[in-house]
Amino acid sequence: MSTTSTSAFPSPLSIATPEGCEGWEEMYPYYALLGEDRRQADEERLWFWNSMHFPEPMSAFDVVAIDGPYYALANWQNRVFAIPPAMGIDYRIVNGYVFITPNAVTDPELIAERAAYFGARAGYYFANWDELYGRWREKMTKLIAQISDLAVPELPTYEDDDVAFEDRDTSFVRVLDAYNQALRMHEQMWQHHFEFLLLGYGAYLTFSDFCKSALPEIPDQHIAQMVSGIDVLLFRPDTELRRLARLAREAGIDSSFSDGRTPEEIVAELHQSEAGRDWLDALEAVKDPWFNMGSGDGFYHHHRSWLDDPSIPFSAIRGHIDALAEGRDTERPTEHLAAERNRLAQEYGALLDEQARGTFDELLGLSRTVFPYVEEHKFFCEYWFQSRFFNKIREFGALLATHGFLHDGEDVFQLSRHEVGEALEELCLTWAHGGPARGPHHWPPIVERRRALLERLKQWTPPPAMGTMPTEAINDPISVMLWGITPERLQSWASAMSGDSRTLTGAAASPGVAEGIARVVRDVHEITDVQPGEILVSTVTSPAWAPIFPKIRAAVTDIGGIMSHAAIVCREYGLPAVVGTGRATAEIRTGQRLRVDGTNGVVTLLDGEEPE
Amino acid sequence: MTECSRALAQLRAQDEEGYGGKSASLGELIAGGIPVPPGFAISTAAFDAFLAAQSLRERVEDVLAGLDADDVAAVARASAQVALLMRRTPVPDIVAAEVEHHYTALAAASHKRQPPVAVRSSARGEDSAEATFAGQQETYLWVRGTDGVCEAIRGCWISLYSPEAISYRARRAAGGGAPAMGVAVQLMVDAEVSGVMFTCSPLSGDPSVVAINASWGLGLGVVGGEVTPDDFLISKVSHEVLRATIADKQIEYVPDPGGRGTHRVAVAPERRTLACLDDTRLRALVETARAIERHFGSRQDVEWAIARTGEFPENLFVLQSRPVTATAQAGSQAVADRAGLDAMSLVLGTFGVKQRGQ
Repeated sequence: MSTTSTSAFPSPLSIATPEGCEGWEEMYPYYALLGEDRRQADEERLWFWNSMHFPEPMSAFDVVAIDGPYYALANWQNRVFAIPPAMGIDYRIVNGYVFITPNAVTDPELIAERAAYFGARAGYYFANWDELYGRWREKMTKLIAQISDLAVPELPTYEDDDVAFEDRDTSFVRVLDAYNQALRMHEQMWQHHFEFLLLGYGAYLTFSDFCKSALPEIPDQHIAQMVSGIDVLLFRPDTELRRLARLAREAGIDSSFSDGRTPEEIVAELHQSEAGRDWLDALEAVKDPWFNMGSGDGFYHHHRSWLDDPSIPFSAIRGHIDALAEGRDTERPTEHLAAERNRLAQEYGALLDEQARGTFDELLGLSRTVFPYVEEHKFFCEYWFQSRFFNKIREFGALLATHGFLHDGEDVFQLSRHEVGEALEELCLTWAHGGPARGPHHWPPIVERRRALLERLKQWTPPPAMGTMPTEAINDPISVMLWGITPERLQSWASAMSGDSRTLTGAAASPGVAEGIARVVRDVHEITDVQPGEILVSTVTSPAWAPIFPKIRAAVTDIGGIMSHAAIVCREYGLPAVVGTGRATAEIRTGQRLRVDGTNGVVTLLDGEEPE
Repeated sequence: MTECSRALAQLRAQDEEGYGGKSASLGELIAGGIPVPPGFAISTAAFDAFLAAQSLRERVEDVLAGLDADDVAAVARASAQVALLMRRTPVPDIVAAEVEHHYTALAAASHKRQPPVAVRSSARGEDSAEATFAGQQETYLWVRGTDGVCEAIRGCWISLYSPEAISYRARRAAGGGAPAMGVAVQLMVDAEVSGVMFTCSPLSGDPSVVAINASWGLGLGVVGGEVTPDDFLISKVSHEVLRATIADKQIEYVPDPGGRGTHRVAVAPERRTLACLDDTRLRALVETARAIERHFGSRQDVEWAIARTGEFPENLFVLQSRPVTATAQAGSQAVADRAGLDAMSLVLGTFGVKQRGQ
């Protein structure tokens, strides 16, 4: 141990490799790994497991989804807006999991220097928000079209005539160029992703701070409710599923959706009747763009869109049909939500004196202007673009598989982005000259080894944090707002790590108390296992999980603040939620009885029920 | 002709001079549609009439003349002497007649021959420190009959000459003359639960919440600090219970079995740690608190009780309300720091760009 031995969290360099996982480092770039050369700096910082975005160990290719966002975040935060106290987020991979730390600026002179840049640049964005956001949607839509249309050439025995006679590029140039373009578009997507996000969070936090100083007892939830949008793009996909469920019932074809059927079987049966065919037409009309919704947050290649994996939307339609059959109202109560949003704003405003009222109204107005971006960008970036991007990479995987470099196109995700480039280069070379290729012998064993490593790494549970508890409050708006990293939270994680934990504490994200049976969900593919009336316990949830919320009684997550997805959705459905507990998925087993107190942010493991 | 009494419902804020603060404020509450137990008020002039009879005023002044406020023993002797003089002096006939008139009306309204009433002193002026030291906080509970009420009224008057009150006044203003005081008489609420509530956070001053303290039985336990009450903090805006601390409430005050006065008893074990208010009652109290605050246009400190009999919410009563003066003005500094800054400057402040005044 070094100078950091007083910390409640383990030294990053003291974390052992789980048995059978030796050599995991080969999957990741050298700069993502811990090492003696950076020991002191890395031990002195606090690293927390970003289980919100990276709940599973990363495959080699999926490192693009770490690098992309962190390049982009830091570039905007530190080099464009020069946000005075915060530079960007650094990351390390330990046993396949992603730990992050915000880089702070502490030198007052430097903060002042940055403030001048920030004031001018952020001011421009706030002043021209609607226009700039309009342009953003255009460029994002264009980028999605570009990645979708990007052609991945095949490698034919003989090039087409246009190469021979019309000066078209030869295939090796086009294959390598297409791959580089795909990577570049991915980076551009992340660039767009962070253009507005920091400022959006900043405006919200300002309103939140103001409310808390003028009205110290105001629940965080009420602040969020006053700002949150009602007619949000992200809720549209699920709204469309509810509509389709209603249509199916009205047309009397709901029995086609009976238990245990695959989407293919359902579609096949619907094709047999006119009513079924009409419904399928309605389904087709909804698909563009709403089935570009993802089954996960787009940080993993296996987060597929609803277009690619219809099992989630079909199971959600089935759930909505069941709810309708039981006479339950499945509609999002939008009118009620809108009325409540305005009532809260009106009543809190009326409690303030005239001067405070003016500031309150102005900050609320600004927050409402910027918030649609905060809520909507995910649909364009994480779901729509990312699912198209990973599918494009699958096409390169298929090309490599066709030529024996991989057994299966899906294996491409076990190679890093640089290794994929390397493999494509050898493929182009050996295809062109016809000589023997090493790739078919070189890559498959690597793929097999890494698949096995990832399976074993999945069994390991990372600590919520490592390194040294910070002495100063974290003042990076994004860390506070998105991950809920506050001194209190860190302290509760630290105490949870040492000792008995029949109770877990987190952010009181949605009020109320519920008891029930836990369903621990660590992977997006397991969400279809959730049974009605269970309490969802997950590392994190994303909007893609919306269909299961009508089923559950309460939600508990490892990470997230009061503006995290689970918090927002639970408030809408009136379900108790505690988010940011640090270790819920590690401490709780499926089948245990829990009490979730969403008013006070406490989860209690009840006695008398042992893990299965 | 001196006005000695009036029904509480006939009083308004401007009657404080003649009837004291408590009675005037009860009249205001009634005017604001707040449920207050019916009753009547005795004027400060009635006290003057009492002093005027049998040269009582002169004899009291004789006892107090030249008294050394710091001579504890002498002050105690003087206080006892004044009390004796006053107890030997009957309540003036005109006052007693009016008490009888009002009490009979209360009996008729409550369908009881001798309904129990609460008799409380009603100080002039809002300085609660003065009210406390000047002994103007006397309360007689579960009083019955015209004679009993008259005796309690005289008890309130006598309390003006407690040792503490005598030395307080002697130190404060030499030769300040006789003090003035009204008395409020109201039908007794046989409280199942009672307590106090603030229309803001008593700690932070946050105006968006109502803070409620509640315990079993009559309000003496909570007001007198003899019991740790259940403590609730409720949002005025959503009616959500933001915090609830359920206390171990060991004692409660109940009406004396003899029919007069009150009696302190142990709370039955199974009720001690039971929350004494449910969500419905909390919500009704919050609504009542908001109505009172709206009526007075200022933050209020309210005593309330819920009767054992009668239907809820008709059995919820407000016993008194007075302005809150001693809490922090929530966020006043934070708001002042932001004075004159537009939203943009405030957002820049969140990102560490210092603004003037911050």
